[in-house]
Amino acid sequence: MAAGLKTVILLSFVLAVGFLLIILSCALWANWLPLLVALTFVVAPLPNAIFAHCGTDDFSTDGEGSGPVDLGRFITSMVVVSGFALPLILAHAQIIHPAACVMSIIGGGLVYGTILAYTATFSQESEDF
Amino acid sequence: YDPRRVCINPFPNLNLHIGKYRRTIGVYTAGGLFAFAHWLFLDAAVLSSHYRPPADAPYDTAPVHVTFVDWVPGILSVLGFLIVNMIDKDRIKGEEAYADPRAVWRARLILFIGFALMAGGLAGSVVSTYGVSYSVLALTEKLKTILVIKYVVKNYPERFTYYGYANVAQNISVMLSAVVLWMAQSVPSDYEYNLSI
Repeated sequence: MAAGLKTVILLSFVLAVGFLLIILSCALWANWLPLLVALTFVVAPLPNAIFAHCGTDDFSTDGEGSGPVDLGRFITSMVVVSGFALPLILAHAQIIHPAACVMSIIGGGLVYGTILAYTATFSQESEDF
Repeated sequence: YDPRRVCINPFPNLNLHIGKYRRTIGVYTAGGLFAFAHWLFLDAAVLSSHYRPPADAPYDTAPVHVTFVDWVPGILSVLGFLIVNMIDKDRIKGEEAYADPRAVWRARLILFIGFALMAGGLAGSVVSTYGVSYSVLALTEKLKTILVIKYVVKNYPERFTYYGYANVAQNISVMLSAVVLWMAQSVPSDYEYNLSI
């Protein structure tokens, strides 16, 4: 599992860079509101993960057409958009610096991308039963 | 003529050729639009509460603020959104399993109420933005100043009319989100197809 190990190391590195960017965007201007972005993106995959196993049975293909799964996707999409919108709004109202807004958006995107890539990479093995 | 049809002209069957992920993409898009709508309005609210006077006139006060009245259209729209999406779609169509015509009638009535709430929210946001002279509702002077013409007619500078436009855009986005979600969930699932295999 050398490839898997490399993937884990790369992903954790990207995750660390993402959190670094978010924390820098807070610390450089001594305004800790952008830290909410990190929280948002960490929470983002949770609804999907919770509702993913509702309503699936042996016949339907990966939960298509199930209400709870749709609800999970709806909430996930809402939280992701909130993660991008929050720093933009704070910057628009001049509560945080525009550079802090850009840094926290990039950092949040890296964190969320890491989580997505991680689940996409390591969910294959469980489906191959 | 099919008696189960709701509209005389059926909705166009959009074949977007996204295949089996059409429902997923639709639901994600609807959620994004829904969140976008509310962040748009919150942007106006945050801007209003963090108002700073311009540099050349530091003692100016804001002539208008986003108050609770501005939240009402959005709340109505969200209520309508919830009602519309909580209805069982098969019941509207009057499928075989739900042959009771009274149940179909009731479902359509509730659907109508939901859409009326959303349309009311939109209309309310337009009213509070552009200001139709709404003297019937203007029972008190306070109510009058709120409902009649909040933003546009009073010729506020652009940074204040933005509050009103954001409110209208919020309600339009909520309606769009409901439409997208409805279309995504009306896609027939592959369930029967898989069973027949």
